[in-house]
Amino acid sequence: MELLGYLFVGFSVVFQPLNLFYCFTGVLIGTLVGVLPGLGPVAAMSLLLPATFHTTPVASIIMLAGIYYGAMYGGSTTSILVNIPGEAASVMTCLDGYQMARRGRAGPALGISAFGSFIAGTIGIIGMMLISPPLVNFALKFGPPEYFSLMVLGLMILTFLTSTSMVRALMMAAFGLIVGTIGLDNISGLARFTFNIPELLDGVGLVPVVMGLFGISEVLLNIELKTKREVFTTKVKGLLPTLEDWARSIRAILRGTGIGFFLGILPGGGAVIASFVSYAIEKRVAKHPEEFGKGAIEGVAAPEAANNAAAQGAFIPLLTLGIPSNVVMALLLGALIVHGVTPGPLLLSQHPQLFWGVVASMYIGNAMLLALNLPLIGMWVQLLKVPYAILFPIIILFCLIGSYSINNSTTDVTIMLVFGVIGYLMKKLSLEAAPMVLAFVLGPMMETALRQALIKSRGSFSIFFTRPISATCLIIAIALLAAPLLPWFRRRRPGVALERDETS
Amino acid sequence: MKKTFLVNDILWMTFALLVCIGGLKLGFGTFQQPHAGFMPFLSGLLLGLLALVDLFSGLLDQWKAEKKDKEIWSEISWGKIIVTLAALFLYTALFSVLGFIIGSIFLLLFLFRVMEPRPWWIVLTASLVTTGLFYLGFKVGLDSQLPRGILGF
Repeated sequence: MELLGYLFVGFSVVFQPLNLFYCFTGVLIGTLVGVLPGLGPVAAMSLLLPATFHTTPVASIIMLAGIYYGAMYGGSTTSILVNIPGEAASVMTCLDGYQMARRGRAGPALGISAFGSFIAGTIGIIGMMLISPPLVNFALKFGPPEYFSLMVLGLMILTFLTSTSMVRALMMAAFGLIVGTIGLDNISGLARFTFNIPELLDGVGLVPVVMGLFGISEVLLNIELKTKREVFTTKVKGLLPTLEDWARSIRAILRGTGIGFFLGILPGGGAVIASFVSYAIEKRVAKHPEEFGKGAIEGVAAPEAANNAAAQGAFIPLLTLGIPSNVVMALLLGALIVHGVTPGPLLLSQHPQLFWGVVASMYIGNAMLLALNLPLIGMWVQLLKVPYAILFPIIILFCLIGSYSINNSTTDVTIMLVFGVIGYLMKKLSLEAAPMVLAFVLGPMMETALRQALIKSRGSFSIFFTRPISATCLIIAIALLAAPLLPWFRRRRPGVALERDETS
Repeated sequence: MKKTFLVNDILWMTFALLVCIGGLKLGFGTFQQPHAGFMPFLSGLLLGLLALVDLFSGLLDQWKAEKKDKEIWSEISWGKIIVTLAALFLYTALFSVLGFIIGSIFLLLFLFRVMEPRPWWIVLTASLVTTGLFYLGFKVGLDSQLPRGILGF
């Protein structure tokens, strides 16, 4: 009953006209950036972050959250119709979604993707409501050693689940930690690696780094591509899946929801990994795995459900522990801090309206998305016809203004361009940006927790292994680190399995 | 031999070494009392060791699973990429002087023609309209502090 009371508070917040407006704006922009290849939710959220400074914290987070889960819906449209993932979490949808479109079944593919996303999103919100309050009580027991170990575990999970080499993913995490040390030292106040540039005293900004790595680098990659898009516009009909489609998809949706939600909660998990893992598992449990990659509807339903459930689950570690589990959550963390709200165990008691308002907005947002993505599919298809030669200058201008308007500084723009080049080279060399960004965000928090723990223990590392929560996290992290050395694990590691799927 | 990956690991190791030296210069401190260079040194050390592991594992299997150098670098339109980047850095350098409107019109004029040449009147119209919409959206709508430059608004 208490839960329903809180939910009522949440709905009373979200039904305020301003919050409804921001919720709609968020999911609309989310769908838009999901549909458009080259501009993902991270870049869009970075861009709009300064615009939310003038509004209330609740409205701001409602809108930014809407962009995130809205992009999960929109990304599938491009994957199915153009065979280009609108954003990273929709990569797996391309495999079967596009094949369905080629066979004249674009409608059911889009339909099951939207319904699957809606079901998963709704279950994810319920899970979030049920899990967050008890997790808050648990999180109150956390001290510096626990926080440090949990963040190490998060990074390890992300690198473990990455589809490329784990060593290289760890290298990128180390690089992120180094970039995170730029600026004033939190404890001594000493300037580190600032090279006498005053703007670097506050550290390298998250927004320029993210926009460079994900926005500019993507544009540079697209410039070199010579492929032409083929859009299946004439065959989009019959959006409602048949009974047979439902029979084949419902279990995949539920499995995808479970996997996505679990991976979303884990620090280091997230929508991209969730969609990859759920596709790999669905293929493994399918009666006809040979149909995967040739237009199996389960291959659309499972990853789409997983990425939406993960998008909801990812809010749990941020709002209850104050730890962002992925890049998007890191941006939300930044937004909350800008508004004077410190995410963590005390958020629920200190800002109940924000927490429950955001939860309730997700129900409304999911319903809005269903309306936006099914009846209005024709509008999104038209958008896909815009040539990339016209889109890319606009995306670049968005990035330039977005990074400039954070501090009104051209240094931030230069940083963005430098990271754009770094991101481009990283993609060329199969180095993933996600571990780098997560480590960059967690780095300062990890450093503070590590140094505080060591000062507390008088330099003894045993503090990390004598406290149960910390020890558990570190043991799992070490197991994940050691797992790729075992031949059995090497064969079954989700990322490795994916590489085979993609190349086959 | 796939030179790309060899060079990549060597570059990362060099970078890691520089970070370690930088960390030591900042002061490592002790485990009881870590100083400002503690984290940079440990992160640099970690990066260097991982790059070394990557290098050795690559040398052992000759980077069999990786793309060939030619596959990575040959089909790139270097001209377009370098010219685009040069334009972006130039735009950034002149952003405050020229201001948002003038700078963006010139940048868009250039970018709209990079991918595929179109008639100048189309490119000019598209640049003017896009800049205008961005100005309305960001400057007027969101009150962003875009530089005024020589136009004064």
